[in-house]
Amino acid sequence: MTSKGEQAFAFALAAILLVVGVVCYAAFPQEEPEEPVRLMFKSTAGKILFDHKTHTADAGYGIACDDCHHEEQEGSSSCSGEDCHGPDSDPKRGDALHTNCKGCHEESGAGPVECATCHVM
Amino acid sequence: MNNEKKLVVAHAPYWHDGSKISTKNYNIIIAALPAVLMGISQYGAPALAVIAFAMACAMIWEVIMNLVLRRPIPIGDGSAAVTGLLLGMLMPATAPWWVIALGTFIAIIVGKQIFGGIGFNPLNPPLLALAMLVISFKGVFDFNVALRHYDLGFVMTYPLADLKYFGTEAIAKFSLGDLIMGRQAGAVGSTFGLGLIVGGLYLMLRGYTRWEISLSFLAGVFITALLFNLSDPAKYAGPFFHLFTGYTLIAAFFLVPEDSSSPANFIPMLIFGALAGLGTVLIRNVGVYVDGIPFSILLMNLANPLFDRIRPKAIGKVVENA
Repeated sequence: MTSKGEQAFAFALAAILLVVGVVCYAAFPQEEPEEPVRLMFKSTAGKILFDHKTHTADAGYGIACDDCHHEEQEGSSSCSGEDCHGPDSDPKRGDALHTNCKGCHEESGAGPVECATCHVM
Repeated sequence: MNNEKKLVVAHAPYWHDGSKISTKNYNIIIAALPAVLMGISQYGAPALAVIAFAMACAMIWEVIMNLVLRRPIPIGDGSAAVTGLLLGMLMPATAPWWVIALGTFIAIIVGKQIFGGIGFNPLNPPLLALAMLVISFKGVFDFNVALRHYDLGFVMTYPLADLKYFGTEAIAKFSLGDLIMGRQAGAVGSTFGLGLIVGGLYLMLRGYTRWEISLSFLAGVFITALLFNLSDPAKYAGPFFHLFTGYTLIAAFFLVPEDSSSPANFIPMLIFGALAGLGTVLIRNVGVYVDGIPFSILLMNLANPLFDRIRPKAIGKVVENA
């Protein structure tokens, strides 16, 4: 059997921890950062972890936003359809990502180009 | 002649050394603190939320269950607090509150209370909860997804996932020093290797956990990983990588030697620990799960009654109603 002191200590500990836990959960909810750090793309060929920060940061590859995000850049004419979405100009996300990612990796001779080096199979 | 078996006890004098279950459990909490504090310093308030809420929930479930059963409330012994703490340490800092509430329910009610409470659980309660949560909510325990918003200044991909999906080339970026010092992605209280080792040594030296189980588990992991690595170094990671990643160290010092679900004799303890280590690396290298810790140890927990049958022969001979 536990003593009264131990019992009281345990109840006090449980109460304090409950308050700390609830307050921390309530005060610090999980929020998406304004600019993503890493993204997990889901696809039928397996998910892909993309390190957004390393690609955009000046200390990383320093790629400009509108090199990838055309639709959000008003007045941008850098996307001619075929450039990003593949030769059949069918605007699918997978084609755009493959053309952009693999194209850049092949062009610069750095980064993965094989399927299983990006996709988690 | 009366052939009824009689209760046989050793004769007096008896001596109580003053140690109590609560002393042991609060010492386990103290031993876990370095690793927990490292997790909180890295992930901040969300990690504190996970740890505090898990401990509180575990204690509350124990109170509720014993109120329902009209039994004395045993939370003063610190057992529920330890179960909650260990489960919190196995969670990512981003674990939602309802996963914690469900996990502690499984650990305390399903894992322990329905078997009769402390000392009666055949399976390790935090690991039972972890296994059920991992199977039920894969997304929560995909550390690459869970921790995608964190940039802590070191490689933030989960080492075991990199190994599983991209092979040994992908783990070259992890240095052993970083892994030992907790500079790796993972659960709140499972990444700071040095802190876990210090805590584990403290518990073993004070006699609160059995060194035989902890060390044989680590030896099992090391030797199995070494054999895999020697067979094909390009495909399988080296033994030190397996020792310092995933749940290996927290399992070795805080989970595998849990009293009720592990054997009591010397040889069975060695076999139990070594096989749990072997199973862990087998699942990591050839199984489907990224980390084999919960499943491998639970499997050994199930085999525990068989291990307990390996015991020394009693000295002397039985005399009927002497």
